[in-house]
Amino acid sequence: MAKSVLVVGGGPAGLAAARTLGKLGIPTILVEKEQKLGGRPILEDYHTLIPRKMTPQQVIGPFIEEVQNNPNVDVKLGVELEACEGEAPNFKVKLSNGEEHEVGAIVVATGFQHFDAKRKGELGYGIYPDVITNLELEQMFSREGKLYRPSNGQLPKRVAFVFCVGSRDRQLGVTNVHCCRYGCALSGLQGTEIREKYPDVDVFCYYMDVRTYGTWEYPFYWAPQEKYGVRYVRGRIAEITYNPQDGRLRVKHEDTIVQRPAEVPMDLVVLVLGMEPSEGTKKVAKILGLAQDPDSQFLVPAEDSGSNIISNKPGVFIAGACKGPIDIESSLAEGEAAGAEAATFIGAKVSA
Amino acid sequence: MAIHERSLVDPERILRKERLVIDGIDVSGDWNLIILPRVIEDYDLSFLDEVLEQPEGKTILQCYQCSYCTASCPVHNYWDERYNPRHFIHLARLGLIDELQKRADVMWRCVSCHKCTHRCPKGVLVEEVLKAILRVMAKRGIIEEYPSKKFDKFFLESVYEYGRIEDGELLFGWIEKQGYQVVKDPVLKKPIPFMGGVPEWLKQLAIKPIKNMNIGFLILNAKHMLFHPRTKNWNRFKQVLRKVMEEEGVFAH
Ligand SMILES: Cc1cc2nc3c(=O)[nH]c(=O)nc-3n(C[C@H](O)[C@H](O)[C@H](O)COP(=O)(O)OP(=O)(O)OC[C@H]3O[C@@H](n4cnc5c(N)ncnc54)[C@H](O)[C@@H]3O)c2cc1C
Ligand code: SF4
Ligand code: SF4
Ligand code: SF4
Repeated sequence: MAKSVLVVGGGPAGLAAARTLGKLGIPTILVEKEQKLGGRPILEDYHTLIPRKMTPQQVIGPFIEEVQNNPNVDVKLGVELEACEGEAPNFKVKLSNGEEHEVGAIVVATGFQHFDAKRKGELGYGIYPDVITNLELEQMFSREGKLYRPSNGQLPKRVAFVFCVGSRDRQLGVTNVHCCRYGCALSGLQGTEIREKYPDVDVFCYYMDVRTYGTWEYPFYWAPQEKYGVRYVRGRIAEITYNPQDGRLRVKHEDTIVQRPAEVPMDLVVLVLGMEPSEGTKKVAKILGLAQDPDSQFLVPAEDSGSNIISNKPGVFIAGACKGPIDIESSLAEGEAAGAEAATFIGAKVSA
Repeated sequence: MAIHERSLVDPERILRKERLVIDGIDVSGDWNLIILPRVIEDYDLSFLDEVLEQPEGKTILQCYQCSYCTASCPVHNYWDERYNPRHFIHLARLGLIDELQKRADVMWRCVSCHKCTHRCPKGVLVEEVLKAILRVMAKRGIIEEYPSKKFDKFFLESVYEYGRIEDGELLFGWIEKQGYQVVKDPVLKKPIPFMGGVPEWLKQLAIKPIKNMNIGFLILNAKHMLFHPRTKNWNRFKQVLRKVMEEEGVFAH
């Protein structure tokens, strides 16, 4: 029986799995297709993370360091899983760098990708420079340290967040019906950051409902609204236009509380992007024969297991955003759980 | 032409001509109707700033529009659905002034039962917030001063003066204070409530009790209005009252 484990994906979930396996003394191969570990938050320079308002470096950095320094973990950057033969606990895996390995278990942590906002043409992304994504806003903060309108470099007087772009939307087909889970909360945080730093900038959130679930309710909904004056307006933005007279955007919606259509001027509009399974997730699902949700294509756990991380295939464990929208803390926890499950699966025992 | 969703269309936005001829062509019946757009084109955000400056307005930001208050409000439930505390808060926060103005006629109807405040899950002091909104509206001249406040003041004045209230005195005197064009009777020099430029509802309000009163009571009232009887020893009591009221800052006479 092979005694090593393959972890596919070096984001929060994959790192946590590899770290746990390494700490248990199990030979682990971690393949990450990019040249850097850390997943979306590190690769794409998120600024401040919900819920603890720490940077990606503070949250994920220690995991990267431990994994890199653990002699049991063999990190392979720029490498993907190409093929897999055999059954658990004797998988023969082929990697994109030509290597072949025999492993006893596999942890899949291939994550998500952002919704492509251009698909919602009526929102004007890619047409009007002052329509940006929430990811770009994160990068504006983290890379440039200031808020500005891309069209003229000036501070906007008003910023609008448009919730649920690429989520909860049957127009996009059956693939994007789910809720992104992080969007409302991240907008609350981004709105707070704007109001803290630029108290004269008015911030609006256009929502269908505010889904700051669990303990996120106070810090990412109540506090932004009560303490920072972020304004919440119920109504989904249906169209964004540009007015050449004043050079400002118009957000077109119905204020469903007043029951009146509205076309209100805004200087910067932030689209709150949904999450989709990454290309890597879909590819690995095919290679390993993993069950996917027929609509969203996210991986789904085994039907006969109450556990979230046990896949339909014995010896394969799934963790993080490859299974659907999820936050970093939960991705880390699932990675840890998947690592531990993989360890017990290959028969690792705690020696006395 | 029929108007769909008629309830959403304010009458003043409907332009309709019975006969309409354009370029010599009679288009009556088809194109004789125009509805002006009802699009909200901007917010007046300074309105909220002014509400927040009022001591009673501080908690307005806490509202998350659940409508627990409105569902509990007796005025909304049993009098007029247009009286809706939750809705007023939303309008005030976005500064939708024309919408507030549309409701100006009902906005003073709060009976201060404080059910809203006691029940609000977000700790909004709803009744107070509404008063703050009204104050800003009054300051901006988009609502008249609290009509019942005028009445309260007059009520207080007449108790203070005579140590008692006289129904007729209260009614006629108050009508006079409102500044309505009134017709006065030659004997008592009092306004006749059902004549002159008094609004219809007020005429009804005055006529109904008079019709139902027995004649002896009417005469008694007229006598009292003429001679202004005071409560016994009222002058001494008045001084004590004045002291207390001054200490409490109720009014400066
Ligand atoms: C704009 C935005 C902001 C967010 N902000 C927060 C926040 O503040 N707080 C929070 O908790 N969550 C936040 N999230 C969610 C957070 O990004 C995810 O919870 C987290 O990234 C999921 O981690 P993961 O490891 O499952 O997936 P990912 O981060 O997607 O990592 C997957 C990794 O696998 C690699 N990979 C993919 N396919 C293959 C393959 N075939 N072979 C090898 N490697 C592969 C990828 O390159 C990537 O490095 C945010 C999401 C978005 C969209
Ligand atoms: S978390 Fe919020 S923004 Fe994201 S899909 Fe759900 S409701 Fe919409
Ligand atoms: S009960 Fe409180 S939170 Fe709910 S709508 Fe009324 S004021 Fe707002
Ligand atoms: S205090 Fe006024 S607004 Fe509040 S429930 Fe009573 S009547 Fe309604």
